[in-house]
Amino acid sequence: MNEVKNNNIILRVENLTKLFGTKKTLAREMLKKGHDKEEILKHTGVTVAVNNVSFEVERGKVFVLIGLSGSGKSTVVRCINMLQPPTSGKIYFEGQDVESFSKSELLDYRRNKVSMVFQSFGLMSHRNVLNNVAFGLEIRGVKKSEREERAMEMISMVGLKGWEYSDISSLSGGMRQRVGIARALANNPDILLMDEPFSALDPLVRQDMQFELLSIQEKLNKTVIFITHDINEAFKLGDTVAIMRDGKIIQIDTPEGMSSNPADDYVRNFINSADKAQIYCVRSIMQTPTCLVRTRDGANHALKQMKINGVSSAFVVAEKMQFVGILTLENALKVRAGELAYQNAFIRDLPTTTPETHIADLIPIAAEASFPIAVVDENNQLSGIVTKASVLASLI
Amino acid sequence: MGGVSVLEDWLFKFPENIYINIKEPIDGAIDYMLRNWEPFFDVITKVLRSMLSGIGTFVELIPWWLLISLVFIATYAMSRKILRAILYSVLLFFIGAIGLWDLMNQTLTVVISSVIISLVFGLPIGILISSSKRANAVVRPILDTMQTMPSFVYLIPAVMLLGLGNVPAVIATTIYAIPPVIRLTSHGIQQVDVEVVEAAKSFGATKAQALFKVQIPQAMPTIMTGVNQTIMMAISMVVTCSMIGATGLGTEVLIGINRLESGTGFAAGIAIVIVAIIMDRLTQGIIREESAPNE
Amino acid sequence: MKKQLSIIILCIFLIALFSSCSDKTESAGKVIFGDAGWDSMKFHNEVARLIAEAAYGFDTEVVSGSTAITYTALKSGDVHVYMETWTDSIATYADDVKNGNVIELSVNYDDNAQGLYVPRYVIEGDPGRGIEPMAPDLKTVEDLKKYSHIFTDPDDPSKGRIYGAISGWEVDRIMRNKFEFYGLGEFYNYIDPGSDPALAAAISAAYEKGEPVVAYYWEPAWITGKYDLVLLEDAPYDPDLYQLGQCECPAIRITVSANPEFVEENPEFCGFLSKYETSSALTSEALSYIQENNASYEAAAKWFLKEHDELLDQWLPSDKAELVRKQLN
Repeated sequence: MNEVKNNNIILRVENLTKLFGTKKTLAREMLKKGHDKEEILKHTGVTVAVNNVSFEVERGKVFVLIGLSGSGKSTVVRCINMLQPPTSGKIYFEGQDVESFSKSELLDYRRNKVSMVFQSFGLMSHRNVLNNVAFGLEIRGVKKSEREERAMEMISMVGLKGWEYSDISSLSGGMRQRVGIARALANNPDILLMDEPFSALDPLVRQDMQFELLSIQEKLNKTVIFITHDINEAFKLGDTVAIMRDGKIIQIDTPEGMSSNPADDYVRNFINSADKAQIYCVRSIMQTPTCLVRTRDGANHALKQMKINGVSSAFVVAEKMQFVGILTLENALKVRAGELAYQNAFIRDLPTTTPETHIADLIPIAAEASFPIAVVDENNQLSGIVTKASVLASLI
Repeated sequence: MGGVSVLEDWLFKFPENIYINIKEPIDGAIDYMLRNWEPFFDVITKVLRSMLSGIGTFVELIPWWLLISLVFIATYAMSRKILRAILYSVLLFFIGAIGLWDLMNQTLTVVISSVIISLVFGLPIGILISSSKRANAVVRPILDTMQTMPSFVYLIPAVMLLGLGNVPAVIATTIYAIPPVIRLTSHGIQQVDVEVVEAAKSFGATKAQALFKVQIPQAMPTIMTGVNQTIMMAISMVVTCSMIGATGLGTEVLIGINRLESGTGFAAGIAIVIVAIIMDRLTQGIIREESAPNE
Repeated sequence: MKKQLSIIILCIFLIALFSSCSDKTESAGKVIFGDAGWDSMKFHNEVARLIAEAAYGFDTEVVSGSTAITYTALKSGDVHVYMETWTDSIATYADDVKNGNVIELSVNYDDNAQGLYVPRYVIEGDPGRGIEPMAPDLKTVEDLKKYSHIFTDPDDPSKGRIYGAISGWEVDRIMRNKFEFYGLGEFYNYIDPGSDPALAAAISAAYEKGEPVVAYYWEPAWITGKYDLVLLEDAPYDPDLYQLGQCECPAIRITVSANPEFVEENPEFCGFLSKYETSSALTSEALSYIQENNASYEAAAKWFLKEHDELLDQWLPSDKAELVRKQLN
């Protein structure tokens, strides 16, 4: 049983420790004696980035390392591809000690086995999308036609077809990270190291990208080591989640296991913060109203707008986008039939919200509301609308 | 009273019995080089001389109308402003019109040679010190010295070792003009986004691949700024260099000074300014094109 | 701590201020000497300074710059006295004296020489340094034609190289005429050295290496004092031919000149200056003393006046001479 399991382990990290500073010997002794990170820093000037970390990653699974900034998670990934050589401890890739690699073996390992995706993308602004994606292949010495073909394939897989020859500077953040992912995948690596790849992105774009990653993962079945500080992202993506604090791993478990059985208060608090609605405010999920009519328009115009947009209600605004209320299809028809005056047809006493409101506070309103909720600023100007669906989606 | 004045002397005059003689060892060293390193300096002189004559021939081969047209085309290509292109062409034409075209060519020969040598040495040194703290610690004070040491101090030894004329002028100009390209090359490379360099490494780039495919191209706008400054500083040495027999516009300035002929001096001075402006704007244009995709 | 420090700094400042005030002595006024950069002028400046301070109680100052700048300053009164006016290298000098812009007080010396020099070893060899004679029959400027292969121009090996005078100096034009007149252009390139120190460096470097060199220079100067240089002969001086470069350079009248207003205001001191007279030999002697002993110009001036005590009696009334002697001892 054990044998079978081991065969499936692609990466094993044993007692990994990484110290930064000059007086490392002294620091290591203090570590052994059980002094904590701050004491060691004060005494020796050595930063303990990673402290005796061990874990295993199964082939084809997503392993998530989560922790606050400074918890050492980024250092762990950089040790895996030897951007940072470990101070002590071992890293085995398919049973081989990564640290024992010769120079050329190390290059080979980086070129073919592990690829990395960076938080701020790490793209080269002097190259266009295609040449960024083909970079890894170019380094490997792959022929130009061949590498471009492969890069094109990757670009279309991440949904950037048509952007091949664009400058990086012309892309949005989400698109840039797609380039980063395509670049990492172009090498066809066994392991994808992702260092907070989505942290620099807007919440909505981030959700998109998470979805994208899951679908790519489904297609290609890569092993992914994913770093994040967002417990939601961790639970959403991870087959296994390891939570780090002050350079140590506190708990490794499945998301389910961790939720139901947190190792300590720290983990419990972390999981509680998963209530994403606490983090997001309305602005991040609000949309532009598709169907908008003005008080000086008539019922016919309103009906036409509803028809064009395929909706059954329209938001009504006065001069300067002052929010008035909602005109339903029903009322509009009544106005046209002469049963109701246009000015009296609006439903006025509607709940509104502001862009700064936390989504959590919006939930009770959303639950009651029968129309999308209007988002207005302090001057009662309509800034956008929030649909029930988007409130729910943000909670997933 | 006597006691007071002794105290006063001691307080306000540097003690006369403290004296370190550094003049004689320096004289001795230069004398030694003069007598014993002749073959070495001969080689340098020969190399520089053939370089100068090569560049000189090339510069003189370009007819005046071609150079003016080239400036016109280059300016227009970079700025897309026809007026500016016309202005620079007219300015260049003006140098010819005040009778200084040939002297300008001679000046350009010295300036171009110095700039080429500065780049040939400056770029690798800049790259070297960008990655090595120790090299940086050694090179930086040398650069400071090169930039602040009054040039006449090394001009005269240069004449003794290399003879009069354009050869020592090129060396002196290089000493003065090389620091910016070294500094800005190193600075530019160091400034490249850490993650971009990490990314290159993480894809298995060797040091050389990371350097040439990522760091240098990314640092290019800054490096070009260094090149621009080097060119400007080389031009600013023109007059100083003519004091050791370099030919060109600087000589004309000196004649103007020595004969109290302000007109002669100004004419040549204006020509130098025009050359500087055109060279500055053209290299600035290249910098802008380099950095455009980064915005 | 900060307060204490600032009190200490304030005290130092006050002491410095106080002591600089107490140093001020009664003074008869100020003499500003022009220094155009060459060493014989610096030397004569120091001699005159010493006397101005010791005998006449002046404060003195030396303003340095190029010939053109310091001479212009002399006319405008920013410089008062010019101890060595090389009358032929200043184009406007004759007119300036005529128009009273500058007063010529005396002739400092007029037994100097200038022209094309070669090191003696080029002609006679130097067994001590193992140098064979290279041009045994080189005597005159015209003889240079025969020896262009010795003075090879490294930039243009088909010709020889003659280091000319500094561009912009009057004598540069004359040397270029001479170059043409003797048909040297066919055999030689005339190299513009750019500046006086550069020319001196070129001659000095060649001499130290024992290489042949032919260059314009003048005496008295430390170069002609330190190194054994031979002046190439030329046709006897003829005022009509001189400007055309067809004869030797005359000895130049090197005068002591002064600003007119200064002369008017300081007749007594200018009386001394109008008697100031030395010779090329005397000047060379002092310059050699400087070169050999690594002495300052000031020290050389003291040494010189002690050595030539008789000059004090020629230049000064007896009471003033005594004051100087007292200062020297």
